[in-house]
Amino acid sequence: MLVALKAGEKAVIKDISGANALVRRRLLDLGITEGSIVCIKCIMPFGGPVMLESCGQCVGIRRNEASCIEVEKG
Amino acid sequence: MEIALFGNPNTGKTSLFNSLTGSYEYIGNWSGVTVEKKIGAFKQKAARLIDLPGIYSLNPLSKDEGVVTQFVLHESYDKILNIIDASQIERNLHLTLQLLELGKPIVIGVNMVDVASKRGIEVHTEKLEKILGIPVTSVIARSGKGCDVLAEMVTASSNVGSNKSLINYGKEIEETILHISQLVEEKTKISSRWLTLQLLEGNEYVKKYLNDLVGEEKINLIIEKVEQNIFQVSAKTVETFIYQTRREVITSIAEKVIVKRKDTHPPFSEKMDALVTNKWLGIPIFLSLMYVMFMLTFDWLGFPLSDLLDGFITGPLTNLIEGLLGLVGASKFIHAIVLDGIVAGVGGVLVFVPQIFILFFFISLLEDSGYMARVALVMDRMMELVGLNGKAFIPMMIGFGCNVPGVMAARTIETPKERLLTILLTPLMSCSARLPVYALFVGAFFVEHKAFIVLSLYVIGIIVALVVAKVFSKTLLNGETSLFVIELPPYRLPQFQTLWRSTWDKGKGFIRKAGTFIFAGSVLIWLLSYAGPAGVNVNMDDSFLAMIGGLFAPLFTPIGFGSWQAGASLLTGFLAKEAIISTMNIIYFVPDESSLQGLLATSYSPLAAYSFMLFILLYIPCLATVATIRKETASRKWTIISIVYAFVVAYVLCLLVYQVGKLLGFS
Repeated sequence: MLVALKAGEKAVIKDISGANALVRRRLLDLGITEGSIVCIKCIMPFGGPVMLESCGQCVGIRRNEASCIEVEKG
Repeated sequence: MEIALFGNPNTGKTSLFNSLTGSYEYIGNWSGVTVEKKIGAFKQKAARLIDLPGIYSLNPLSKDEGVVTQFVLHESYDKILNIIDASQIERNLHLTLQLLELGKPIVIGVNMVDVASKRGIEVHTEKLEKILGIPVTSVIARSGKGCDVLAEMVTASSNVGSNKSLINYGKEIEETILHISQLVEEKTKISSRWLTLQLLEGNEYVKKYLNDLVGEEKINLIIEKVEQNIFQVSAKTVETFIYQTRREVITSIAEKVIVKRKDTHPPFSEKMDALVTNKWLGIPIFLSLMYVMFMLTFDWLGFPLSDLLDGFITGPLTNLIEGLLGLVGASKFIHAIVLDGIVAGVGGVLVFVPQIFILFFFISLLEDSGYMARVALVMDRMMELVGLNGKAFIPMMIGFGCNVPGVMAARTIETPKERLLTILLTPLMSCSARLPVYALFVGAFFVEHKAFIVLSLYVIGIIVALVVAKVFSKTLLNGETSLFVIELPPYRLPQFQTLWRSTWDKGKGFIRKAGTFIFAGSVLIWLLSYAGPAGVNVNMDDSFLAMIGGLFAPLFTPIGFGSWQAGASLLTGFLAKEAIISTMNIIYFVPDESSLQGLLATSYSPLAAYSFMLFILLYIPCLATVATIRKETASRKWTIISIVYAFVVAYVLCLLVYQVGKLLGFS
């Protein structure tokens, strides 16, 4: 799961279908979907959102959404 | 010729708009600052450019993006100007391909080639031009480089739409396109290819449009059939199928037009982000920035400037006007209305122009630099606790400048519940028009702790907003889940010129209001204070104004300011918050700010003064904000709620502060 990664770690998205439809659509708009390589930039404290980087752009999503995205470390 | 400007958020659309049209429009660096349709005239050509909100796709998620789809469906335009970010060609081309499906003449500007080049990305525009079959050129919108060529291209009248068919969506979908084009033939001017694809992608606006044209049943049958067939062939939903078909085409285009070098220098943005979105430093950095902003506005820079201006208005300017009035032999009545009414009322508001401009300058700086989106990220956790998401923080920050654009900025929030909540809360943000009232009162009562007292009011505004959000999301608006996804655009060093124009654009409204609304209001208030039941030139305590203000006075006695003067100023404050100052200047009938402050010290205790400021912070959104709330919520119920809850909260809170303060012996 994406949420298990530490800051600075990279992974490939394997399955994103568990995330909320709206979040999925927005990530897709930004070109982030199955097969995209993502890198965790930072994790906000107290259960706050995580900041991802993919293809040179940064996106913030909540931790509960990140826990629905399946990834594989590469 | 009408040209519509389309592009992804943060691709420099609004900068390009400014470079091309020469006229200024609001610029921002976070997703969706352009919340309204804006039109500008090309510098030398007889063509007009329509700026649209940034979108990733023509199939909208938020209300803000819906504006664009509505535009495509219902407005007329001759040509499309599509701006794309050179660093993010693949993502941007999704929109471009959808725009091409519209079949309109289209020109592409590849923007920020300099930034891309620094990141090791080169785009071959000639190749892109050949593949897409439409004119393409590169520009740097921020510096204006290449904009002349683009303006030339886009205003040339000979352009036609691309005749290349770039994508074949397969037999099933292509046949549906034909089928729909037969159904809507002669009924619409919009390309049926585009309509069909948007329909199948699940675009609600297009579905409604087609339902109206050919009937809901037929449309539903068509969608159902395609869905089944596509699923049988590919085991995918139609939406995914279309997306992936496009993506394959885009990948092959990108391979041909983009050359990537090995990236040598790490982008400035990443270093910056390591700091400002740092786990522990993020919130402290944000708060310190806010503190510096307030100190500059109220203490270090704004206050001395306002004092200078006050000195000028009450000194040389008043003398000049007096001299002129004497010269033309004006009557005593004219003398009084000009000096005691207009100069006191309008001048009293204009004095605060420096402070308001400093505040607007900082808000523009936050927007333009890209920091605003980071604030949303840093604040999301806190906002989540009260049923909102971090994005709601942006309308609130804009609300510090003026509540009206703040309420409108809530459009970028995707979920309807969170959007409504944000609209209701934004008026609690202390706008710049409330600032003169604070400045006046802190100058009179809290000279030692000016910035701190004012900051406390801003913070109370935010805290009340958070509490109210929690209450509303647990009661009236229970249900919907809260969501948060935000794009964090790269940092951009704002250009001074852009910042100044942005500041001026926001600030000029304040000056204009002083010249019109406040001007007329001042005359009216003065007349009301001049006349009474007993005739004209009465003692002010027997005037109509005192009678009207006196009606409300008993209501305000428990919260510390039960005078008719306070009642009358609060009444005018509903029209515009800065009118409170004009009214006070006229009522207390003093030549300048400092003597008004001296006089206030005799009629308010410091505790009552704080209670009064707190009340003004919360008691009611101004008339313009109420009108905007009505428009944005399209609901009379929520408009009334927004007024009533604010008043109740203000009253209860002030009662608490004043009574507890009195018990503790603060008065």
